[in-house]
Amino acid sequence: MTKRVIQKKVCLLGDFAVGKTSLARRFVEDRFDDRYLSTIGVKISRKPVEMDEYTLNLLIWDLAGGDDFSKAGASYLRGAVGALIVCDLTRSETLEKLQFYAGQLRDLSQDAVLVFAGNKADLEAERSINEEEIQAVCDQLNGRYLETSAKTGFQVEAAFQHLAEQIKV
Amino acid sequence: MDSSQSAPPNSGSLPDLESVRTILFAEEQARIRALEERAATLAQTDQEQSERLHARAQTLQAEIDALQQAARSHQEEAAALQARLDQLRSDIAAESEALIPRLTDEMSGMISDTIRNSRDEMAEALGPVMGDAIRVQIRDSREDMIEAIYPIILSTVQRAIAEFARELQQNIDARLKSTFGPQGFFKSLSARLRGVSSSELAIREALPFAVQELFLIQHESGLLLAHHSHKEETNGDSDLIGGMLTAIRDFARDSFGDGSASESLNEIQYGDERIVIQSGRHAYLAAVTTGIEPEWFRGQLRSFVSELHIDHAPALRDFTGDPATLPNLPPLLAELSTNLTIAEETESKPMNRGQKWALAGGGLIGLLLIAMACFYLQFTIALWPLAFSEPTATATATTTPTQTLQPTATNTPIPTMTPLPTATNTAVPTNTPIPTPTPTLTATPLPTVTPVPGNTAVTNAPVWVREQPDIDATAIIAIQTDVPVTVLSQQGEWAEIEWQGGAGLRRGWIPIQWLTFNEENGS
Repeated sequence: MTKRVIQKKVCLLGDFAVGKTSLARRFVEDRFDDRYLSTIGVKISRKPVEMDEYTLNLLIWDLAGGDDFSKAGASYLRGAVGALIVCDLTRSETLEKLQFYAGQLRDLSQDAVLVFAGNKADLEAERSINEEEIQAVCDQLNGRYLETSAKTGFQVEAAFQHLAEQIKV
Repeated sequence: MDSSQSAPPNSGSLPDLESVRTILFAEEQARIRALEERAATLAQTDQEQSERLHARAQTLQAEIDALQQAARSHQEEAAALQARLDQLRSDIAAESEALIPRLTDEMSGMISDTIRNSRDEMAEALGPVMGDAIRVQIRDSREDMIEAIYPIILSTVQRAIAEFARELQQNIDARLKSTFGPQGFFKSLSARLRGVSSSELAIREALPFAVQELFLIQHESGLLLAHHSHKEETNGDSDLIGGMLTAIRDFARDSFGDGSASESLNEIQYGDERIVIQSGRHAYLAAVTTGIEPEWFRGQLRSFVSELHIDHAPALRDFTGDPATLPNLPPLLAELSTNLTIAEETESKPMNRGQKWALAGGGLIGLLLIAMACFYLQFTIALWPLAFSEPTATATATTTPTQTLQPTATNTPIPTMTPLPTATNTAVPTNTPIPTPTPTLTATPLPTVTPVPGNTAVTNAPVWVREQPDIDATAIIAIQTDVPVTVLSQQGEWAEIEWQGGAGLRRGWIPIQWLTFNEENGS
């Protein structure tokens, strides 16, 4: 029997160059590209996630971070049921933005599921955010925290899988 | 040395002094002698060393001389080589033009072999370099590049245009073929009435309007509610398209509008396709179309979206991605698509049976009216001379049959239908062997010709042949002017004639006035 397919819109949020697009590409296409191309506006991709009783068709809206977000990004959040909010473990200033993006989404949807990712975990030598700091912020924002690496694929699948599992159908 | 032997014999104190001195200095003298010997030895050694050093110096000098000699010779060789190099450079410079073709041949061969043997590798290796090189060249020498690739682009564009023109021509030809008929006539007429030429109408119809795909998308989330496509194979990214369309609409509204929902993107042109968007409160409909949009199209979309919201607004509003919560929308989209297609085709659809009958009836009535008008006109023209002309000699066929083959001209004056007699200038008899009737000023007597059955005549105008000698009798056929006929009989002003028709000899009745009798008949 064919499982029913349910669509859900989720967003990738975070400051510029934290690796949102790379995480999406790793999750959807299982590949990584070293070149950095800043996302303009939004890029949408899709990945079906198999659940026990249904297939969750995740429509991942990868939104441009930084200054670009304040221009039109908020409109793109409408209808999203969850978000993966990303910071860069090698840049401490990206940690401060987690609260901003979480607030943007929660303003539109109180029930939105939040998962936080500390990306670039492979760059251990350049790390500038320790786990206690980021865990404290995530606890405050009521979301699970995972360290990820789009480059190596470390915990990328797990982050999206956790997001999918938390989305209510 | 022994000191006793050196003391003087005849001196008592002096020998003692000498002895003492000898004793005292003997040791010193011995030391001096030893030193002298040592000095001599050293001098000897020094001499030897000096000689050795000298010899060594001489050897070194010889070696230096040899090296200098070698250096000089090397310098000479270097100079010679330099000269040779210069010579080679000048030779290469001089022969470069000659070398280029040789090198080109060699290189071409090598490159050709490489391309043939390792095509993929060559493409892989050269692709990025060529791309970058072209970009740099375009950046630095745009005009040169344009000149270089202009012929290629021109040729490509010409080919594309020719292809398009041929396709358009085929379409127009097909349309023109269908124009030769009542449907085409009425289309042309309709186009003319609307101020459009037939050619413009043909071009318009050569670019037919078609709805390729329909997307029903939830406003807020961009989630796809339903999708319908005419294509058998869709790319499967309809949900992504729904999302991107929503993102584009949001971007346009935030960037160019005032952010309110009342202002939204209504249309996107992409290549020869156009995405027409009809917004509703909770969902919008995006139709991917080709061709020129008919005026009723947006109205249909508006009606559909409006009715959809009337019937299913809660479902559209509360949709959270689970299609089970939606009504069965795909059939509605399919029906809409079918309706749009039918509505478009109706304009160029063949007429139905009733329309054809109506058209045929109208055509027949028109033809009948035209025939009656012609007949009336011809009749009027024919009667005009009788009604208004001068009295003339009118050959009137009589019912009296004669045995002779020649018609007999009688001078029996009969009253004509001319109400007023007119004077004629035929008072002087002519030389015509045929007796000429000489009318007088009185009572307008007209000579009549009494046709005898068997007389031959020709028709002097197109005339209907009837079954009976009566204007109300059934018309058999119309015969043209100058058709030879044989008069079989006469009844009043009607003559029964026989003539050679397409299907053999035929008979019928015509008014006698439409006959001109041959002269040998005596007319």
